Amino acid sequence: MIPHTMSRTVVLGVIGSDAHVVGITILEQAFSAAGLTVINLGVQTSQAEFAEAADRHDADAVLVSSLYGHAEQDCQGFQETLEAHGVDAVTYIGGNLAVGQDDFEETRETFEDLGFDRVFDAETSPEEAIAALRRDLRIPITDQERVTVTS
Amino acid sequence: MIRDTRLPSDELRRIDRGIRDTWPTGEAVDFQEAMAFHERLPTHKRFAQVLERSEQPLLQPRAGVARLGEQIDLLEYLQADGEADLLPTTIDSYTRDNEYRKAQQGLEAASESGAERLNGFPAVNHGVEGCRKLIEAVDAPIEVRHGTPDARLLAAITFAGGFQSFEGGPISYNIPYTKRQGLATTIEHWQYVDRLAGAYTERGVRINREPFGPLTGTLVPPSIAITVMLLEGMLATTQGVRSLTLGYGQVGNVVQDVAALRALRALGNECLPEEVCVTTVFHEWMGGFPPDEARASGVIGLGGMTAAIARPDKVITKSPQEFRGVPTKEANAAGLRTTRQIIDMALEQDIDIDGIDEEQALIERETRQLLEAVIGHGDGDVARGTVAAFESGALDVPFAPSESAQGAVLPARDDDGRVRILEFGDLAIDDEIKEIHAARLAQRAETEGRAQSFRMVADDVDAISDGRLIGRPSGGEGRAD
Repeated sequence: MIPHTMSRTVVLGVIGSDAHVVGITILEQAFSAAGLTVINLGVQTSQAEFAEAADRHDADAVLVSSLYGHAEQDCQGFQETLEAHGVDAVTYIGGNLAVGQDDFEETRETFEDLGFDRVFDAETSPEEAIAALRRDLRIPITDQERVTVTS
Repeated sequence: MIRDTRLPSDELRRIDRGIRDTWPTGEAVDFQEAMAFHERLPTHKRFAQVLERSEQPLLQPRAGVARLGEQIDLLEYLQADGEADLLPTTIDSYTRDNEYRKAQQGLEAASESGAERLNGFPAVNHGVEGCRKLIEAVDAPIEVRHGTPDARLLAAITFAGGFQSFEGGPISYNIPYTKRQGLATTIEHWQYVDRLAGAYTERGVRINREPFGPLTGTLVPPSIAITVMLLEGMLATTQGVRSLTLGYGQVGNVVQDVAALRALRALGNECLPEEVCVTTVFHEWMGGFPPDEARASGVIGLGGMTAAIARPDKVITKSPQEFRGVPTKEANAAGLRTTRQIIDMALEQDIDIDGIDEEQALIERETRQLLEAVIGHGDGDVARGTVAAFESGALDVPFAPSESAQGAVLPARDDDGRVRILEFGDLAIDDEIKEIHAARLAQRAETEGRAQSFRMVADDVDAISDGRLIGRPSGGEGRAD
C-alpha cells in the first residue's frame, strides 16, 4: 500500500428508506483503491446520520446515493442539516433520483437547487466520481495511483 | 426466544388488535366481514386457484403508483395491452419502512402536482376501502408485491381489502431490504402474517404466499436462494399457509437457470408437506439493465426463453426501461409482450441442452448442506436455526445490507457465466464443493490472465448492463451503443 500524503475522507451512504446496497459497496471499494478514506454508512441512512458522521470524521465530501425515486423528498433541508452540524464539505448525489422516466437535466436542476455541488445519473462510473473528487478536493494524481484506479 | 410453532388463536387476536392501532386505517379491519367480501369474489379473481390450475407459465408485471384511480387505470392497461395473466400492486418504499406519514405526504404531493412522487401504491394509507375499490374494478387476480420487513399492518389491511396473494417472507424481506431490523423480530412479524393468511385459508379463502426468491438480485448463487425459499416455506406452512409460490431470479446462464428452477420445484415438493400446493415463479433478471431499450429487450427475451424451457408456474416480467427506474405503462406492457412472444414460440419445442442435470445435482447437493446446517443450528427448530445460521455465517447472502447477515459471501461468474462462489466466508458448504467452485473460477482467471479479486465481482455486477454476461477485463470497450 502506498502512503497517501493527501488522504481525504469521504462519507458515503444511501439516504431515506432505500436499501439498494450494491452501488455503494462498489463505490467503497473503488474509492478505497483510489486512496480515499471511506466512511460507508450503508443503506437507509437519515440526514442526521450523514451530518453526524461527516462532523465526527471531519469529512471532505459527503456522497449521497438514491436508487428508488424518493430522493427529492428525502433531501429536503439536507444542506441545512449539514450546516447545523457545522459540516463544510463538498456534496454529491447520484443514482435514479426521480420516480419514472425523468428528464435528467430537470432532475439535475432540482438537486442543485437543493444545494448539491454535483448531481450524477445512474450511468456514472466510479472512475468519473473519483475524477470529480480529485478536482473538487484538489488531490494531485500520481502515476502509481493512476495504475490503481484504471487497472 | 423465537420458535417455529403455530401462533395460538388468542395470540393472533392480541397481535391483531395491537397492530391495527398503529395507524388510523387499521380500525376498518374486520375479519368476519372481510371473509364475506372474499367469498363474493368470482373464481377468476382468486389468485391461488388461477395460478395452481394453469397449464402454462402465467405472466405478471410489477406496477404501482400512488393514487387509486391511476392504479386502476395502470392495471387495466397492463391486462388489456400487456396481456398480463396476473396483476400486481407494488407498494411504495415509505410504506415498506412503516413510514405511513411520509407515504401520506407523497400521496398528497402526487394528488396536488399530478406527478408521481411515490414509487408504489401506499395500500395502508388507502385503507381497506381503497383496496376493495381496486379489487372490484380490476378483472384479474392481484398480488401485493413489496419489500416490507414488518408487513403486519400491510397484510391485515390488504387481506381485509380483498387481496389473495402476498409476496415476501421473514428472510427474503429482511436480509435484502433493511439494515437494522433483527432477523428474529422479522420472523416473529411474519409468523403473524402467515398465521393470518392461514386463518383465511382455514375458512376456505386460500391466500397465496410468495417468498421473494431473487433476494439481493445481484449474482445470488442458486443454492443460497433455494435454501431461503425452503426455510420460508417451512415457516409459512407451520402457520397454516397452504398455497406457496417459491421464487428464483434469473442469473443469465440458461443451463444454470433451468437447473435452479428444476431444483427449486423438486426440493419444494420434497421438503414441504403434501397438503401444501407448491408452485414456482421465475423473475426475469433483477440486476442492472442496459440503458439501451433494445438491449434491455434482449435481456427480457433471454428470460422468456429460459422460462419456456424450465416451465415455472409464473414469470415476473421486466420492462425495457428498467435501467431508469419505474417504467411507463407502455414500456411495462412491452416487457410482457416480448416475454409472451418468446414463451409462446418456444413452449411448443422440445429443447434439450447438455449439462442441466449435472448443474441441478450440484445445486441440490449444496442446498441440502445449507438446509441441514440451518436446522442443526436450531437443534431441529427452523426459526431458531435461521437466526443462528445467519449470525454465524453458515447461511449468508451476497451484498446483504442487513446487519443480521455476515454479508461475507462474494459471488463471481465462471468462464461459462454460471454464478460461483469466490469468497465463502463461513458458509456451510463442504470442501469438495468449494473445490468445484474454486476450479471453475481459476479457469476463468486463467482465461482472462488476471487474479481473482473484488474487481472481477464488480465487473460481473456491471456486465449485463454493459452488454455482456461475464465481466471480462476487455468487456465493453469496442461496443457500439
